[in-house]
Formats: sequence, structure tokens, C-alpha cells
Amino acid sequence: MNCEEYRHRIAAEPSFDGGAGHLSECLACQAFRTELQSLDGKIARAMQIDIPTLSFPELPAIDTDNVVPLAPRAQRVRPAWFALAATVLLAAVVGIRMSGIGVSYESLADEVLAHLDHEPASLRPSITPVSDARITDVVPANVARLDHDAGLITYARSCKINGKTVPHLVIQGERGPITILLMPDEAVSKATSLDGENTHGVILPVGDGSIAIIGARDEKLERVEKSVLNSVMWST
Amino acid sequence: MNKSSAEAGRRRRFDQIVAVFHADMFRYAAWLCRDKAIAEDVVQEAMLRAWKSLDALRDDAAAKQWLLTIVRRENARYFERRRLETVDIDNLTASQAALLAVGPDEELNDLRESIFELDDDYREPLVLQVLMGYSTTEIGEMMGLKQGAVLTRLHRARLKLKENVAHEDRS
Repeated sequence: MNCEEYRHRIAAEPSFDGGAGHLSECLACQAFRTELQSLDGKIARAMQIDIPTLSFPELPAIDTDNVVPLAPRAQRVRPAWFALAATVLLAAVVGIRMSGIGVSYESLADEVLAHLDHEPASLRPSITPVSDARITDVVPANVARLDHDAGLITYARSCKINGKTVPHLVIQGERGPITILLMPDEAVSKATSLDGENTHGVILPVGDGSIAIIGARDEKLERVEKSVLNSVMWST
Repeated sequence: MNKSSAEAGRRRRFDQIVAVFHADMFRYAAWLCRDKAIAEDVVQEAMLRAWKSLDALRDDAAAKQWLLTIVRRENARYFERRRLETVDIDNLTASQAALLAVGPDEELNDLRESIFELDDDYREPLVLQVLMGYSTTEIGEMMGLKQGAVLTRLHRARLKLKENVAHEDRS
């Protein structure tokens, strides 16, 4: 990759991380990249405009009786023994995963990201808050104290991370749902970045434990991190 | 499921999706048409169309792109219907100027004006990338362009903005 190719690419995508070989040897391209990344931050800020209050138009009644559902995705017919075998295999895999036996992840970050894939229902957009009773159940007083400044909590469930039960909460961010995992027993020495397929986040050290915060790739998490850190206090 | 609970469920689903993505819909519409009042009209029309075709959305995880695509089409329809002139930066209407509301940061104000002045072909992919967080492949799918064309437009858009920023710094 030469200077022209690199600059064309970085001006099109300032987050482009290829061309490392060229970049390490070219000070001018390093400066160009820094300049473009700084410009991009300013462009993002300039594009933020005030949003009017949401008002719904008058929505016509839809006759749900006449809604033609989309054709189900084509399914191949398989013999009954296949379904039976698949069920047994699934049960075995779920059992092993639930017990934590035989499942190992290279790092806490990998396990956190894998956990999100296991609970896609938690990532549905929602404006319906979960009840206080549910939150108290998932975040018991002997684990943590949670102020309500963290944001609108739309999902709360007790989950297993590294064999331990942890509160799994979801709040709604600007770009979609944001997952928060409170892990009072998972100590990390420093903040660790998380990088999923369409997500990004961080595991923050908090006292003797840590908190994972994961949002959509374009979600700005800094404000959420501050608000979560101000809202959570370990009980032990 | 009886009819009334099916209708209520449909409405609840719609309200939730729109509540989460309303800000994105408005920002996208505003940067497409460069007029606050028209953006509000476009978003209202888009919501109406989304409501009517909600059953075509199989997966709520794809709701954002689905809604933005509807906004894009409604914006095109709006301009087809009204046969509106393109924006003249020196003679903005109050509704157009409302998008350029001046803040305390002069550099940011100048940059907002430069983005405003970009050709539609350059401004739209930039908004989709910087504001909406889409990859160049996704932008290509939404705009019906090959990835190479998207990269070229983004490259030109940024160079133009960079040039304008440098020009403002000099003057």
C-alpha cells in the first residue's frame, strides 16, 4: 500500500486499521490519519442536532385478521430420528453450558460477549421498564445497591458468568439496547475493551469486582459508563 | 390470540421500535433534506408507512435499518411531489436555518455549514457512516451503490470538509 492508496482509504474510513506496514514507516500518513480521525470526531459533533419531541401521526386501524404473514422460511423435512437425536444433543449442550462444565473461554471478555449471543431476547428495543420487584430480585441487596440513575432498565435477569450468578441488566441507549453485567466477584486489573461483531464495550474494574457495559458499535458509552459507575455500589 | 390483543400487541411493538429510533429517523431526515420542518413531515410520513407495513419486519433487531430505509424513500417521495428547489445556502428559509442553529463553538458551526453545503451524493453516505454507524458495505446496500463508489464518495466528502476547515482557519 502506498501513500495515495492509504490516504484514499483512511479518508473514506478513518477507523480503517489496515496498512499497518505502510503506516509504521510513513510519518506523513500517520499525521494525515490523526488529522482525519480528529476531523471525524468534529463531524460527528456537528451532525448532532436537537430532536423534536416524538409525536405519533394518526395511525389508521389495521385489520389484523387480514394481515398476510410472511411465508415461513423454507424448511427441509428431516426424519423423526434426526429430530430426536438433535433434541438429545441440544439438551446435552445446554446442560453442559448451564453447569459450566467443559466450557472454557480464553478470557472474561470472550465469555461476556458469548453470553450476549445466548440471550438475543435481551437486545430487543423496548421502552417498557421492568418492575422494581424484578430488579430487587435480580440485584439483591446483599450483592449491590442500584440507584435508578443508571437509565431505563428494560431487562433484568440472573445469569451465569464464569460459574457465578450475576445480574444481567439492559438499559436503552441512543443506538439501541445497552447490556450491563454486574460482576462483584470478577476482579480485573484494568479496563478491558470488548469488541463484538456489531457491538463494543468495556469491562471496568469496580472495587473487588467489575462491570461490563456493551452497546451497539456506534453507541457512545462514556456517558453510560459514568452513570452506571455512579449508580452501582457493591454490598460486600 | 383474540383480535383486540393482537392489535394492542402490534401497537406496542410499533411504539417501542419508534421510541428507540425516533432520534435517528429525525437526524437522518434532517441531514437528507436540510430543513427542520420538512424533516418532521418526512418522519411523520415514514412512521405512517412503517405502521402499515410493520408485519413485513420479521426481526426487530433489523428495525433501525428498516426505518431509515423508509425515511430515505419518504424523503425522495416528498421532493418528487413538491418538486422543491435545492437549498441555496445564501438564502435559507427559517426552517433551513434552524438546522444551522449557532452554538458557542465557532469551528463546529463552520463545519456544520460545510456539511450542509456538501452535495447530496457526498453528504448522505457521510451521515450514514458517522452518525448512524453503518459500514461501507451496509451503506452501499442502502444506497444501491458498490462499495468502491461509497468509499470514493466518503473520501471526497472528507477531503472537501478538511479543505473548508483549513480555509476557515486561514481566514
